Amino acid sequence: MSCDRCQKPATVHIKEISGGAIRELHLCDQCAAEQGLAAQKHASFFESVNALIIGRTADEVKNLKCPDCGMTWKEFKDTGLLGCIRDYDIFAVQLAAWIETAQAGGNHHTGKIPAARLINGPDYVRRKQAILQMKAELSQAVSDEDYRHAAELRDKIKAMEEQAG
Amino acid sequence: MLTLESMPNRPCHWLMGEGPKNDILISSRVRLARNLLAFPFMSKATETQREEIQTTLRSRLEKLKEAPGHLYVEMSDTHDIDRQMLMERHLISRQLAAPDGSKGVFITEGEDISVMVNEEDHLRIQAIAPGLQIQECWQKAGMVDDELEAGLDFAFSDKLGYLTACPTNLGTGLRVSVMVHLPALQLTGKIDQIKQAAKDMRLAIRGLYGEGTEALGDFYQISNQTTLGRSEQEIIREFNDQVVPRILQAESAARELLVEENPLLIDDRIGRALGVLSHARLLTAEEALYHLSYLRLGVTLGRISGLELGTINNLFLLAQTAHLQKIRGGELDEATRKAVRAEFIRQKLSRGNL
Repeated sequence: MSCDRCQKPATVHIKEISGGAIRELHLCDQCAAEQGLAAQKHASFFESVNALIIGRTADEVKNLKCPDCGMTWKEFKDTGLLGCIRDYDIFAVQLAAWIETAQAGGNHHTGKIPAARLINGPDYVRRKQAILQMKAELSQAVSDEDYRHAAELRDKIKAMEEQAG
Repeated sequence: MLTLESMPNRPCHWLMGEGPKNDILISSRVRLARNLLAFPFMSKATETQREEIQTTLRSRLEKLKEAPGHLYVEMSDTHDIDRQMLMERHLISRQLAAPDGSKGVFITEGEDISVMVNEEDHLRIQAIAPGLQIQECWQKAGMVDDELEAGLDFAFSDKLGYLTACPTNLGTGLRVSVMVHLPALQLTGKIDQIKQAAKDMRLAIRGLYGEGTEALGDFYQISNQTTLGRSEQEIIREFNDQVVPRILQAESAARELLVEENPLLIDDRIGRALGVLSHARLLTAEEALYHLSYLRLGVTLGRISGLELGTINNLFLLAQTAHLQKIRGGELDEATRKAVRAEFIRQKLSRGNL
């Protein structure tokens, strides 16, 4: 079987089931690498399954872009640097394999935990992050003079801040 | 109080010629990478955001209990020579010294802790000490981390730990490194074996000032490459129990072998080094480092009298371009630098005998 992109022998085969439709993708090593899929061979079974469940085509992977900072998967692969913490969610599947390779199989943190996280529970950082995002939306709403939306956001932020402690 | 003017004339903290195992192991260093939750990473931060990050962090840093007598240097207001001097003292990285955008460094009075702001990550907390003192460095850096964290929210996830701009620093954000002096392994041709062993243990091995400076004075920096999946204590323990003992043992064995089997070779190298450094009138930094390396070996093996290890360690620093110019009080062209360097070294070595 040959690669869907360049006709070289395909070594990476992906079957994707999305919305009842089945799509197949066959790639050679090089094209798979360019699509951020090469490390799948070294990735855990879980990660491979995860990639299938999320069901993105190669083009979708290539065009993945963080809505917050504008980072693309290609840009990350060129520079080795991410643009914001949300990139860790946006590129979670591709990064999982990349990280396992770079970290010699290490894939979860076992070291120091910030005191604030210990005191305020596991969702602390995520809640803080959500509040920050809403604050950005709030200042956007104010500058757009959308005061109804701004008032809603302000009340939500207040409630969340009380909860976050 | 520490200033950029007083700095070049005082000995560098980590080069004091003190500290455990310092005949081979010059210094220990620990650094922690941290980022603020409220800002994008550096590659996507605007100049306004970078300024905001620096303002926020600078005011926090200046309130640390380690702050009395400190120095804060904003890179954009700082002369090239001063930036290079900070690099020569290992207080900042090459990346921080490059002149672009809002960034700075906080340095404690004793120069044992430095915190870089807006390097690859928002914060790079570093502690450095002479000899084998990894655990002590970790305690100092960890203390600064704890103090900063009490008032700031760092980017952290339960699964991936501290979130960093480059995922190679994820998790602990901890980079441990030791600087070692390996002239005997070099002379006996065994240095490549050590380099290979380091790679096999997933350690990075670099020269005195990082990538591409491997040959300078037989100094090597050895550091961990993985930061996720092991705790800080596990990473440190690997250094203390495995990495360091192996390197010390290999270099000690090579030194003993040289003295036993080829004392003439070693005394010849040391004698030539003393000869050149005591009498040369023009010296490049590379040539000075090359000979100082053998002189240091001679002192640690007791084959030279009348010279202290501290004096030689200090010359490693003074021989470097920015220090030389700072001490002379201004910019010097290359030819003048060579002459001034040779003069400094000649004066300091007047008491050495083979």
